Amino acid sequence: MKTYYKSEIKTALIFLTPLAIFILLFVFIPIIATFINSFFKDITFLNKKFIFLQNYFYLFKDAGFWQSLRFTLLFIIVSVPAEIILGLIFALILNYNIPYRGFIRVCVLLPWVIPAVVSARLWELIYNYSYGLANFLLLKTGLINELVNWLETGFSAFFALIVADVWKTTPFVAIILLAGLQAIPQEIYFQAMIDRANVWQRFSKITLPLLKPILIIALLFRTIDAIRIFDLVYVLTKGGPGGSTTSLSLYAYKYFLSGDFGYASSISIILFLISFIISLLYIKFGKFEQEIL
Amino acid sequence: MREEKFIKFLFVITAVSILFFCLMPFFYMLVISFSTSWDITSLDKIRFSFSNYIEILKDPSLHCLDYIKNSLIISAVSSFISVFIASLGAYAISRLDFPFKFFLLLFILASSMFPQITIVGYLFKFMNKLHLINTYLALIFPYIAWTLPLSLWIMVSYFSKVPKDLDKAALIDGCNWFQVFIKIILPLSKPGFISAGLLSFLFAFNEFLFALMLTIDYHARTVPVGVALFQGLHGELPWGSIMAFSILSLIPVILITLIFQRYIIQGLTRGGLKE
Repeated sequence: MKTYYKSEIKTALIFLTPLAIFILLFVFIPIIATFINSFFKDITFLNKKFIFLQNYFYLFKDAGFWQSLRFTLLFIIVSVPAEIILGLIFALILNYNIPYRGFIRVCVLLPWVIPAVVSARLWELIYNYSYGLANFLLLKTGLINELVNWLETGFSAFFALIVADVWKTTPFVAIILLAGLQAIPQEIYFQAMIDRANVWQRFSKITLPLLKPILIIALLFRTIDAIRIFDLVYVLTKGGPGGSTTSLSLYAYKYFLSGDFGYASSISIILFLISFIISLLYIKFGKFEQEIL
Repeated sequence: MREEKFIKFLFVITAVSILFFCLMPFFYMLVISFSTSWDITSLDKIRFSFSNYIEILKDPSLHCLDYIKNSLIISAVSSFISVFIASLGAYAISRLDFPFKFFLLLFILASSMFPQITIVGYLFKFMNKLHLINTYLALIFPYIAWTLPLSLWIMVSYFSKVPKDLDKAALIDGCNWFQVFIKIILPLSKPGFISAGLLSFLFAFNEFLFALMLTIDYHARTVPVGVALFQGLHGELPWGSIMAFSILSLIPVILITLIFQRYIIQGLTRGGLKE
């Protein structure tokens, strides 16, 4: 049985109070309030009424909800693996001794540090039908024969979102994986070279297995972030065409905006539950216990 | 050795493609912002000019500078307070012994992983009741709360690198916990403050959903909302002005990245995974 000193606990409480107040007031109480609110019919200017699970029953029958759930999951399934694979390639390059490595590292970081809204606006122009850069370059190089209306058909709009998201967030994955690569001791590679392992063998037998824990963390980190995607779809496709690229966050936002707080709450609680499960996975795989203190 | 040479060649080619992929959109943005037309299919129409910048700076109804000012103030204040509060908490977690410590840390870390949309509806009502909608405080408070977990995590990792014998010696010499915190831990963890502060700043500067819901006009609106809602007068979007405004608003973040890249990368990797 561990013993604690009263004076130490008291000091700890004082040091932790401001932190606790902020997190309780602006994160946990809002989540609980949203959860409670999801059992109410709560529309601006109308009387609030307890309806228990009715919002959720309605969700179950709401085609728009299923559509946005499907889009959100599909977006994660396509964008996250693409970012991990590309991020790994970036990290391998940045870890290699090529000229101007520091300069290249800053350039790679740039897409990640800018606001998602600014990058979404930029890609909106790139995808413009008549004078955007995408059509211009693809037409000039002969990869397409006629102009593509990127944001107006379901499939190409989805593809356009993926490319814009990959551009924006691959740097983050690359930087995290680079730290993992740099933690691998060089001696292992020298030993492998003495044993005449070729490049592929060194990568698949040394790099990948040793990088696995960090790959999983990057994967979960990106997943948690991709679930709540909002900025990019809000600006780039506005959820269209025909609602096909409406994410769960955007779908809930539209109900908040129309004043239907109860229903919007139930949508965001579903989203919360999905990301909660993934956070638990993150905490489990992150093996936090060992490294504290 | 031939294999090594080939690999090196392959790496250089890939590096060049990566650079192209990352920088091309920025270059495009810069070109459009400095030209008279945004129609690149007729290159002869594109002429170098400052007209987009002059236009957005001269037209007071666009409030571009207001948005940038709001963003800078809100981000600076919230990141400063976030790092301060996080460092107090990190001190308790890394130095003091108390029950449920591990549980508490997980609890705080988990709070940054939740979707913002889950709390924004309640925040809107809460801020509305306090008459804070469309003020700096409406954004500063949630941004502090939202950046605390990352700041805390970074500070804990720096604090636990300071040898514990140092503060034991100070305690024996008669310092109390507060003095140990201010005189020993803080000065030895400066890089941690810079990392946590920069990342919190970037987060607050880039955040969109809270700003969209909790502000109404240029009195408190931040850059992302300004850029997202930038409208043309005659239906068609004025891409030159939008890109010029984007470039102007990117200057602070890009400067920070160029100057402090080491700290940003350190903060990211310490915040995200174990050292």
